[in-house]
Amino acid sequence: MASRATNELFAPPDYAWRRLSPRYRSLLRLTTIIGPPLLLSIPAVLILVLTDLTWLALAIWGLAAVIVAVRLVLVERGFRAWGYVEREDDLYLTRGVLFRSLVAVPYGRMQLVEVASGPLERAFGVATVTLKTASPVTGAVIPGLEPAEATRLRDRLTELGESRASGL
Amino acid sequence: MTDTPPTAVTTAPDLAPRVGDAPVVKQTERPHPLTPFIRGWLVLLAIGLALFRDFLPGGGGPDQGNDFLGGDWRLLVVAVTGVVLLAGLAGFVSWYFTRFVIDDEELRVETGAVFKSSRKVPFERLQSVDLIQPLAARLFGLAELRLEAGAGDSGIKLRYLSRSKASRFRDYLLARASGEQATMADHQAGPTASLLTDLGAADRPLVVVPLQRLVGGFLLSGEWLVTLIFTVAGLIVSIRFDAVAYALPGLLPLIIGAVSLVGRRVIAMFNFTLAESPRGLRITRGLTNLTSQSVPLNRVQGVRVVQPLLWRRAGWYRLDVDILGYASGTSENNEGQATSVLLPVATSPEVSATLARVLPGVDLAGVRLEPAPRRARWLRWFDFWTLRSGWDAHVVVSEHGWVTRRRDLVPHAKTQSVRIVQGPLQRRLRLANVHVDTTRGPVDLVARHLDTAAARELALAQLDRARTARRREREQPRPSPAPVESPTLGSPGPHVRTHDSAAPGNLADDSGHPDAAVLARFGVDPSALLGQGGESRVYALDPTRVLRVYQSAPPAPLLAQLGALYAGWAGLDLGVELPRILETGTIDGRTFSVDRRMAGQVFSAFLASAPEAERRTALLSYLDAAAALPALPCPVPGFARLVGLGAPQTYATLPELLADQLNRALATSRAALERDLPDVPALWARLFADLAERRCTPTLVHGDLCPANAFVRRRIDGSPYVSGIGDFSPHSLAADPLLDLTGAVALVELETYPDAAADARRLTGVAVERYGAEVGHWIGVYRRYYGFYFSMTYDVEPDVYAWCLHQLRA
Repeated sequence: MASRATNELFAPPDYAWRRLSPRYRSLLRLTTIIGPPLLLSIPAVLILVLTDLTWLALAIWGLAAVIVAVRLVLVERGFRAWGYVEREDDLYLTRGVLFRSLVAVPYGRMQLVEVASGPLERAFGVATVTLKTASPVTGAVIPGLEPAEATRLRDRLTELGESRASGL
Repeated sequence: MTDTPPTAVTTAPDLAPRVGDAPVVKQTERPHPLTPFIRGWLVLLAIGLALFRDFLPGGGGPDQGNDFLGGDWRLLVVAVTGVVLLAGLAGFVSWYFTRFVIDDEELRVETGAVFKSSRKVPFERLQSVDLIQPLAARLFGLAELRLEAGAGDSGIKLRYLSRSKASRFRDYLLARASGEQATMADHQAGPTASLLTDLGAADRPLVVVPLQRLVGGFLLSGEWLVTLIFTVAGLIVSIRFDAVAYALPGLLPLIIGAVSLVGRRVIAMFNFTLAESPRGLRITRGLTNLTSQSVPLNRVQGVRVVQPLLWRRAGWYRLDVDILGYASGTSENNEGQATSVLLPVATSPEVSATLARVLPGVDLAGVRLEPAPRRARWLRWFDFWTLRSGWDAHVVVSEHGWVTRRRDLVPHAKTQSVRIVQGPLQRRLRLANVHVDTTRGPVDLVARHLDTAAARELALAQLDRARTARRREREQPRPSPAPVESPTLGSPGPHVRTHDSAAPGNLADDSGHPDAAVLARFGVDPSALLGQGGESRVYALDPTRVLRVYQSAPPAPLLAQLGALYAGWAGLDLGVELPRILETGTIDGRTFSVDRRMAGQVFSAFLASAPEAERRTALLSYLDAAAALPALPCPVPGFARLVGLGAPQTYATLPELLADQLNRALATSRAALERDLPDVPALWARLFADLAERRCTPTLVHGDLCPANAFVRRRIDGSPYVSGIGDFSPHSLAADPLLDLTGAVALVELETYPDAAADARRLTGVAVERYGAEVGHWIGVYRRYYGFYFSMTYDVEPDVYAWCLHQLRA
């Protein structure tokens, strides 16, 4: 019952959500698989080298494995939860698994559209588009788009923002 | 040019560029020569305080101080003098290199000795011009002029000018900023500020906060009481334990904090006057620093009304306003800069009067606020009963808080973005928060813990409302400076209803448009046309309503009958949305009705653009919708004509009803039909011979069920389905339900997209599959009926007429 109400709450208006590029999911998976084990290896190796408690080091690595497994699931769900859709007059975004949100920004309110891509993102061939309005809390960010789509979005949004620009 | 008062110093034109035969270089002015001394004395004061603190008992240690004194006091004097001289020199240099020009052509300020900067501001970009008189400057009759030139730009501060000159500049700049073609000469002999007040003769005070109320409100405010309690408790405890000397470093910040709180809240807000000036509102306040700040009304992004617990007895409120460009928003830092507090302590009628001025056209009492569902008590057990939100045509409002009641109002046009946020606990309880975002400032509108359906409705409709409001604003003629009337504080009537186009100048000029009068009455632009049918044009009025203007006046009882028909279906859940007429009328000979807006996209537009798989799905649901219509109750029993002149009119049998309908139609088209078809009487006879064999019970029939009268939406999985049927009309009957089924499958052929005929054929096949082969026979019969019936369009819609002929020839 609750989930149907939630589905309707976060359903796209009229059309269907466009999802992020699968390459972004690979990026997230990679960082998830590498991150926690790398971090937890530091104490584990120290323990292995300095003390006799091999079992403790193994336990820590086991913990890392569990964390990776759990986070992979979460990352998958988080990835699937991102969506955006462009309508005639506004852009809708949805994100989040635990704390879900739906953001709607009219084109005329968009002040700035940014496309950014860090080194890891470039390696995977994705980019992040950020929309800024006059309000600091809008938080309209779409990560993990293919560069062509990101550029198209940026150009289209900038053009629409200009043509629909309404004074503050 | 400017006259040269004795304080102005003409300069060698070394700062202005020389370009050949450049015209004579402008004279720039410097601020008043006393400026460096006034700025210098603050440094002296600071040093003095720092030194004096050393002599305070207990602070810094008595031994240290004595040593200092006992030492070389001559050195001390020399040091102090040196510092003061340095400060004075710095002040002098800064003053010497500051020049400005404010005249009929430009506003330019040049500063800097080493790093020169020249700032030129176009008059239209000026947002606010404030006059500030710090204590020292006031004593000498000087004032500071502070200019705000747009969000993100730091303001320009001109220190110090003589009071009269500064206020003249202020009036002139405000006039230019609002687009008037003023000149300096106009403002030479205007009203000026004085030592104690800063109201021109043209300003009428709207609200003056008396001192007792200001102090009373302050003493009853939470911050003061908490600070007081902590300070007193600290003092008592430290005295009790005889540890004052040790506790003093800890208590000192508390005491300083308390003193600065008094300074911010009482001294800076002393004699707070909100006045109505020809250019909006102006706030004058302050005991030591007299500040005069203009409130640009078109920059108001939102308003917040706050009432702490202890003020409830006295009925006092605080009004904060979110104004674009004011740097500090959330803090209540009220020193020399622009404050976001519109009224620090005000009574209810004063709040209403001010809101009427700041948000014209808004009727606060008229906004219906819905409480949050009771489920919210699990998450906000402490104030769930105070959570309320709602909207009307102008603003969206949300309330929360029990200890401190807060109500945020945001005009629709100032919505930046809308967010729905739902945490995991809220998900279990089917609640969500809706944020309506505005620019940085004290207003933070969050409609908390709404039911999910209500949240979605609020959020999605808010964007529509925002768009409509922005469009309305764009099309409004720029409001000229309002004539200053002094409102009586007891009657909070709105002054200028800028949202009602009292002067529909924009639309009435478009006299070529046939619906101009009706559109003007509702403030609707012709570009809001949603669709056009044979009988009427439909315009978007607002997110929940449309305006339908009839081409030629329909027969008198028609709209009333339709309205009654729709109203009779109001509570039913058919799975298909049905129309609703909200109001009807006639303007200038044009009949109009305001209908409830149907959700979704018009089906014919959808069919024209959707891919085949989606069309197929949608058309199947279209058949379902047609099959659902017979479930509607008929207002009269038996076969009948339901709408139109003389309706409802009952008939004994189906052929009689249909014959009457066709006779009415053929009255106009008989000649055309006889011209285009070989043997009309024979066709007629054959049709009615077939109809005579029909046995059915009368149900409600739409009579014109075509894709242009249907609406399609998408389910959560994206699949389209027909969600609404609209536009019932004089075609509506109590007759054979197969009439609508035939309409559904056959009238699709009239659509203009390429595969229309193929889709119609397929749909017919599906209908036959579902309902039996006999249905196929009757569909054929009713096709001929529709061929006759719609032949009345022979002169206005040749495509339809051609289709009719095709049906009849087959």
